[in-house]
Amino acid sequence: MGVAILAPDPEPDPPMLRRRAWLRSNFLPYALISPSVAVIGGILAFPLGMLVWLSLQHYGLRELIAHQGRWVGLDNYRSILVDPLFHQVIVRSLLFTFACVVLTLVLSTLLSLLLLKVRRVVRVLVMSALVFVWATPVIVSVDIWQWMFDYEFGVMNYLLTQLHVGNFIHHNWFDNPVQGLGVLVLVVVWGAIPFVTITLFAGLLQVPSDVIDAAQVDGAGAWQRFWFVTAPILKPIFLIVICLSTIWDFGVFNQIYVMLNARPSSDYFTIAIYSYRESFGVTQYGLGASIAVVMVIVLVFVTFFYVRETVKVAEIA
Amino acid sequence: MNLRKTWFSVVPIAVALVAAACGGSTPSSTNPADETGTLTVWLMNGSAPKSVVDGVNADFKVKYPNVTVNVEIQQWGDIGTKLDTAYAGSSPPDVVELGNTLVAKYAAAGALEDISGKKSSFANSSTWLQSLTDSCTVTKKLYCVPYYAGSRAIIYRKDFFTAAGVTPPDSLDGLLTVGQKLMTAHSSDPNFSALYYPGKYWYAALPFVWWQGTLSSSNSQQGLTTLDNLVTKLSRADKTGDEAKQDQAFAQGHIAMIIANGWEVGVITSATGGDPSLADKLGAFPIPSHVAGQTAPVFLGGSDLGVAAKSKHQNLANDWIAMLTGSKHMTEMATVGGVIPNTTSMLGLGTGLNSVFFNAAKNSKFVPNSENWANVENANVLPDMLVKIFTGQQKVPDATAAASTRITSILNGGG
Repeated sequence: MGVAILAPDPEPDPPMLRRRAWLRSNFLPYALISPSVAVIGGILAFPLGMLVWLSLQHYGLRELIAHQGRWVGLDNYRSILVDPLFHQVIVRSLLFTFACVVLTLVLSTLLSLLLLKVRRVVRVLVMSALVFVWATPVIVSVDIWQWMFDYEFGVMNYLLTQLHVGNFIHHNWFDNPVQGLGVLVLVVVWGAIPFVTITLFAGLLQVPSDVIDAAQVDGAGAWQRFWFVTAPILKPIFLIVICLSTIWDFGVFNQIYVMLNARPSSDYFTIAIYSYRESFGVTQYGLGASIAVVMVIVLVFVTFFYVRETVKVAEIA
Repeated sequence: MNLRKTWFSVVPIAVALVAAACGGSTPSSTNPADETGTLTVWLMNGSAPKSVVDGVNADFKVKYPNVTVNVEIQQWGDIGTKLDTAYAGSSPPDVVELGNTLVAKYAAAGALEDISGKKSSFANSSTWLQSLTDSCTVTKKLYCVPYYAGSRAIIYRKDFFTAAGVTPPDSLDGLLTVGQKLMTAHSSDPNFSALYYPGKYWYAALPFVWWQGTLSSSNSQQGLTTLDNLVTKLSRADKTGDEAKQDQAFAQGHIAMIIANGWEVGVITSATGGDPSLADKLGAFPIPSHVAGQTAPVFLGGSDLGVAAKSKHQNLANDWIAMLTGSKHMTEMATVGGVIPNTTSMLGLGTGLNSVFFNAAKNSKFVPNSENWANVENANVLPDMLVKIFTGQQKVPDATAAASTRITSILNGGG
């Protein structure tokens, strides 16, 4: 049996090969990642760096007009950390975020499970409604919520009175801050449900039905099937959704600001409102920036656990 | 080299250069018809009637045919933020109407042109209302032109008063009595307010605070307690709301009295959003004092007109302001717009209902003229205090003490 032997190609110059290989292994990855780094640097790192820089300066209206701040080191941080109002704001923001995230998660999970069970027509209708809610600009929808909870002409007071829940004529939803924040949680959760529901529903479609069936054959009840079969499979999606909801709800601004006619009282200050009030309300941009930096730090702490879990899940996958 | 030839050629060039140099600068100061560009003017919502603005622009067009004037109407709600941003930029609006409590902040920060040297070029500058002139004066320099003033009185429904058999009161006790009679007369109407008072309406609270002394003084606290009592017994307005919609609410027919500016009569009786049929049914009387027969000092609100320090058309801007604040258009502001004109020489223009408001201006006060006062307003210190009192979250002494501390801190440059 004859073997055809092809003449080898002329040998390239070995040092040149090595250089090319070196370049490819050392330079190419950086070249490939550099556009992303440039974009991320431009849209994230630069503003964040500017924010930190601003938080270390006294930057009032005079400085704003002159485009020249005065360096004060950590003074802004010192003054907010001793401000009792700031402590209240942090606690309020965390509780508000917790309430919003838990409610959003529970309601969205229930809705997405419901979507699996209903007929196709109903599913299309519910999905359309969800997308409609999602597509409505926040300002518009919050304005409508504001009308609904209006003190004098609000449909909510009218309905509750007609339904004999109580006498809600001239009921002011916002004179008691706990109740007012409850209404705001409702508005925020309402706006957050579509994204979370649709995401979870997409995840649920990936759960293999034979695993569920097997669990059912083995005698697992509905709750057990969800908790021991569906939930673990959905864990990565839950983690992402919790992480995003926490970030969004912790930084909530529009709903509170618009609902309270752009003049929220200090009982309704969340950290974003407080930062805005200090920056633009009393023209202390440096102070406002330092609050925003603290907000970022708190968020990093709060979401650290979820991000770590997400990374773990990704590594296992 | 032919010296003579050189000489002849140099002279025309020199002449041409001189002519060119003059040509570049003289027309701007001598011939208004050669001025070009766009003048941006920010006026506040509800300040000058459209007819007045159109009149000023028409006069301006005659003098400066090649200059375009853009008058943009701004809303009071978020004006502080908008002004900060505008003045920080490189091309802020040339002319800005500033609430009289805002001027000190922007003047001190260097946002406004010092017009001390141009004062005499404005009409009636020797008889400008003192309080408005004071609001324009920062460290003895003039930074704006007084525009108009507004003072509050009580607008009431004459027909409701007649039906309930009451007349305008001349003391705070009388106000409560009259209000309670009106409430009784309309007891079948669950939406009726004898005195409609939205909780965040801090301008209207000042006459009660200004009995004597400062916010935390016992007299002021007594004044606020009286106000709280009036609001509790006579008002069904939103205790956390503001006064933005009180005129529309008044026009609905379930309100007997509101504390309002003179120009609000026009809003109440306008065909859009108001009720024109109320025109003959409205009366006005000054806010009574706790001392029978006297009136309470009111807050003299108002607006000034400033030119941006960074404006590229300062002369045009000042000329536009001079036209708006000239006698011709100021008269229209008082008669058509119903506002108190910027000069004492025109206070006689207030007739009928307007005269009540014009007279109220004579017993008026102003908030501290500090560069940081605007921050007190933007931080909502006083509205917050009132809401806490009216909703029962805080007692008057606690609420005033907290507000007083906060105001002092902000006035001293803190947050």
